[in-house]
Amino acid sequence: MIITKMAYPRRTFLRGVGATLALPLLDSMVPALSATSQTAANPVRRVGFFYVPNGADMENWTPKDDGTDFTFSPTLSPLESFRNQTLVLSGLAQQQANAFNDGAGDHSRGTAAWLSGVHAKRTEGADVQAGVTADQIAAAELGKHTQLASLELALESIDLVGNCDSGYSCAYMNTLSWRTPTTPLPVETDPRKVFRRMFGSGGTPEERMARMREDRSILDSVMEDVDRLQLSIGPADNLRVVEYLDAIRDVERRIQRTEQRNLEAPSHLSMPLGVPDTFEEHIALMFDLQHLAYQADITRVISFLIGRELSNRTYPAIDIYDSHHSVSHHQNKAEKKEKIAKINTYHVQHLAKFLEKLQSTPDGDGSLLDHTMLLYGSGLSDGNRHNHSPLPILLLGGAAGRVRGGRHIQYVPETPMTNLLLTMLDKVGVPTEQLGDSSGGLRIERSYLTDV
Amino acid sequence: MAVGFVGIAVTAGTERLQAQQAGEVAVVSRPSSTTYRAVLDRYCVTCHNERLRTADLALDVVSLDEVSADAALWEKVVRKLRTRTMPPLLRPRPADTVYDEMVSWLEFELDTAAAAAPHPGRAPVLHRLNRAEYANSIRDLLALDFDASTLLPPDDASYGFDNIGDVLRLSPTLLESYLDAARVVSAQAVGDPTAAVEQYIHRVPPDLTQDYHLDGLPFGTRGGTRLDRYFPVDGEYDVDVHLQRNFIGGRVMGLTEPHELEVSVDGTVVAQFTVGEQLSKDADSTENEAEQEESARRRRFYDSQTEGVYRTRVSLQAGTRSITVTFLERPSSQVEATRLPYLRSFAILGEATKGLPHVDTVTITGPYQARVGDTPSRDRVFLCRPTASVDEHACAMRILETLARRAYRRPVTEGDVETLLEFYESARHAGMNFDAGVQRALQRLLMSPDFLFRVERDPVDGSPGSNFEIGDLDLASRLSFFLWSSLPDEELLSLAEQNQLQDPVVLEQQVRRMLSDERALALVNNFAGQWLYLRNVPHAAPDTRIFPDFDSNLRTAMRRETELLFETIIQDNRSVVELLDADYTFVNERLARHYGMPNVYGSHFRRVDLDDRSVRGGLLGQASIQMVTSYPNRTSPVLRGKWLLENILGMPPPDPPADVPALEETSEDGHARSMREAMVEHRANPVCASCHRVMDPLGFALENFDAVGSWRETEAANQKINATGQLPSGLSFDGPQGLRDAVLRRPELFVGVIVERLLTYALGRGVEYSDYPTVRAIVRDAALTNYRFSELVTSLVKSLPFQMRRIPS
Repeated sequence: MIITKMAYPRRTFLRGVGATLALPLLDSMVPALSATSQTAANPVRRVGFFYVPNGADMENWTPKDDGTDFTFSPTLSPLESFRNQTLVLSGLAQQQANAFNDGAGDHSRGTAAWLSGVHAKRTEGADVQAGVTADQIAAAELGKHTQLASLELALESIDLVGNCDSGYSCAYMNTLSWRTPTTPLPVETDPRKVFRRMFGSGGTPEERMARMREDRSILDSVMEDVDRLQLSIGPADNLRVVEYLDAIRDVERRIQRTEQRNLEAPSHLSMPLGVPDTFEEHIALMFDLQHLAYQADITRVISFLIGRELSNRTYPAIDIYDSHHSVSHHQNKAEKKEKIAKINTYHVQHLAKFLEKLQSTPDGDGSLLDHTMLLYGSGLSDGNRHNHSPLPILLLGGAAGRVRGGRHIQYVPETPMTNLLLTMLDKVGVPTEQLGDSSGGLRIERSYLTDV
Repeated sequence: MAVGFVGIAVTAGTERLQAQQAGEVAVVSRPSSTTYRAVLDRYCVTCHNERLRTADLALDVVSLDEVSADAALWEKVVRKLRTRTMPPLLRPRPADTVYDEMVSWLEFELDTAAAAAPHPGRAPVLHRLNRAEYANSIRDLLALDFDASTLLPPDDASYGFDNIGDVLRLSPTLLESYLDAARVVSAQAVGDPTAAVEQYIHRVPPDLTQDYHLDGLPFGTRGGTRLDRYFPVDGEYDVDVHLQRNFIGGRVMGLTEPHELEVSVDGTVVAQFTVGEQLSKDADSTENEAEQEESARRRRFYDSQTEGVYRTRVSLQAGTRSITVTFLERPSSQVEATRLPYLRSFAILGEATKGLPHVDTVTITGPYQARVGDTPSRDRVFLCRPTASVDEHACAMRILETLARRAYRRPVTEGDVETLLEFYESARHAGMNFDAGVQRALQRLLMSPDFLFRVERDPVDGSPGSNFEIGDLDLASRLSFFLWSSLPDEELLSLAEQNQLQDPVVLEQQVRRMLSDERALALVNNFAGQWLYLRNVPHAAPDTRIFPDFDSNLRTAMRRETELLFETIIQDNRSVVELLDADYTFVNERLARHYGMPNVYGSHFRRVDLDDRSVRGGLLGQASIQMVTSYPNRTSPVLRGKWLLENILGMPPPDPPADVPALEETSEDGHARSMREAMVEHRANPVCASCHRVMDPLGFALENFDAVGSWRETEAANQKINATGQLPSGLSFDGPQGLRDAVLRRPELFVGVIVERLLTYALGRGVEYSDYPTVRAIVRDAALTNYRFSELVTSLVKSLPFQMRRIPS
């Protein structure tokens, strides 16, 4: 990847302007691949990845015109009030989600490739293999300073039997996040459990500290057991034990970080009961928890499966009684496409409510939304054709001024979505050379250098 | 065409047996490989050749002389021939006798080769306990009922089951959950009076009809809920009851009449509340009585926002307590009307304004003023209760030795006990009492890899690529996790420690004992629950506009029916074929009404005999199966066909192509199409036809059962349902009984599926081609006893892959 950027010293613009102006930092002002701590720019502090399944009705999704002052499409209209913090990116692709002779399995491949750009290995067994995902690359760095390196959340339970692509392990659709090419991370659907992970099981600060000390001494002791175990296991099975040791060290580190902060749950909050009965309550609660996680800096990286691929959920609240996946195979019938568009819009409405929460929360010299960068979209384009281009993709939030919103950018078709992920990683201060099938950073900016 | 085969009346297998019995070298005119070469060349090679490689199979370049050289390939061929799915129905096919003989011959070759070079496969070395196994192990180790789903996440599944060792990973998140669980469990088991006040919320499904008596609740009551919960200590607890509210401003229904709400503990009433009140009417109103009543009702309804919360404080003794919250039944005269009410309560509609009050949640907060109590769990843990402090250390050691041996499923070493004692001692040093010290050590025990994982080590001196017999202790664990989803009990563990499980007589005895033990019901929830998709029943959400009678009561009843059938097969040691051809089933009133069965009253389940004309015998007639193979708003012959192929017939279809459009429900001219018409495209398009010709007819046979399993004669288009179809072998039938009879013509195919699934479940790994000789042997042996369940299990337990492992080369 060749990055050619010229660094314009900030003074170049301030000189001659006179009055102090709070300038949003343009992309071009950041020196290429420099450690962000050396620049005047703050890296984006918070990043999120939100996934909706079964593609979208692209006609209703894609705005008819591009550039600034574009007209919001029907599906994206709930985001109108966040115009300046919305980038609609059209024409991106996840090529590696295509079949390449592996046959059916677009739902699995679409999910697995979305944040990795890697072609998932076709297997139903334990030897699943995809690629490290962008959120985990970010978390490896950003997670050094927070209690939880990342949060992986979802709304649909994984314990349904027989609901996966044949030929592919359910693991591919169950999660967005892969820590290593062979380690998918489990997702949490129960708000109560998420709350517990964030704040522990309550009690006084002393009680919590005591619990953490207990856990650490148990883990130290268990580590010795596992070391002994490793000696008696042959090399063929060593992987499992290594996984075990890694998990222990990981948790010990988390406990250490938590001890340093000893966060108390805000007193006006009570622990959620469990999984709510309706979709509306569930998504609202999960978004609330994410809002809290960002606000309290419990984590800076979140991935959220709003729906799992092959989702058969119905949406009675908007009068849709067909199962989502079933109606996404619309066969070009207007009535079915309308229903899909309705579901798409509904999801965006919920997203907008979350953005509103972030916007109304002060953070430093702005709002939470100003300092957050969120990716929203799907790994499928047309759910009927199961293709992976052009993908419905949005980049939201102020990204600490490192992204200029309010535009619809139409890219050359088949531009790798992984390029966008690389750019995102760059903006969070984790510059990365290559991710999956990336061919370089994505040009988010046009030549607006003169428009300050 | 059967040239060359006429006159050969016996199969190769029996001829060999006769020869052996005669004690002389067999000189029989057995068909040789050239005979079958001719069959392949005539019927198969047109498609399956090196050039075309249809289904990636080339049969022209493989030799039948050394079947063992490519067992994987020939097992695939055998499977297709055995089920008669190849050649495809429209192509020339050999006669049935040829099929039978060729299958026998191939199987004989494969089995002989396998016997000469046995391959037991390799179950995972490090096999984590899954959630259900963890909970059951806690129950059996500590006599503690523990709901693991509140603290542990669900497990990943593979090959249809969630106990497959290779996919049971240990992520940092899971490890944290284990730490949490170890803390909670040890505190509950020991009965820690200093444990923090906890809040437990018991939620009643929002679509549970509470208009009549519910199973498990006292007679004379209606609706409500019952929770059985373990309380680790004596103490005071607040019980809060919240009534269900609707979506219109969150109001409670039914307050226009008084209802008595009762809270009981272990059958004794501890609190009573009056919900609602008698409406008063205006004395001086000019409206007539009916109008007055109506406006009073409306006023009362709109006033009800702040009501519906009731609290009482109860004293509870430690142990498992049964708490019921329910309404007293108020007999009311049945309203005579032309329209019958729905079976589903009106009250549980989100917008309801009328109906009876329903219980929504019961919250138990406590303990307050906790005191150590007597619980079965404390009895289990504290084998000794030291009176003098000098006795404490020895007692702690004894307790920990005993617990560790059961938890680790093997004799304990000094090192094991020392590790645990360290935690006991450091707690004592910190000033905690004896009980708390034991609690800390127990916490450590529950985090030990020897508890959380089953470890099957290779022998130190084993040569690579060789097989070895697994030790008795490993065998005991395999047995108990297979049949009980839990750790071995004392009897099994002792026998293993004395190396007695190697004795086949002892092994058989243990299998029989374990199957008749209550713990074997784990097979219903974990084996049948996943094989038959029963675990999906709670998630099914049929469209209540189309199925207005559907409620949680029906959903629970459907699942119970299938569970009870399976329980009967296990506990009464019935033939597994009865899963298909049972002439009885299990219903309660709700389910019976759904099925249209008269004269069944009451909420409890009872066995009913079915007559010959009934469509409800066996799995194929059960609403649970029919519902989980449908969409929320319509049936799906494809889903049903696929389910049948995979789970009953053992002929899983290949994957669909990408780019599959949805169903056309109306034809070009707008008239509604029957399901059969709508799916004509499946057979018209050759890409689709190869599989759908096989799948759809099976699903059509069940079209009389709608998406929630009710019987219907006509479908959406008001067209009479045509339920004719055919098996992949070509055998045709009409309707569900016809389908059942057709499948039962060759019960060994169905039994083969069960054995394959059981083997997967028992070994915790996918079944491979090298396991098929074992599957065949088990089915053959089981045929001698008409496929009784315990025989299947015993054969499986004695089989090669269960008894042995291979060392990697």
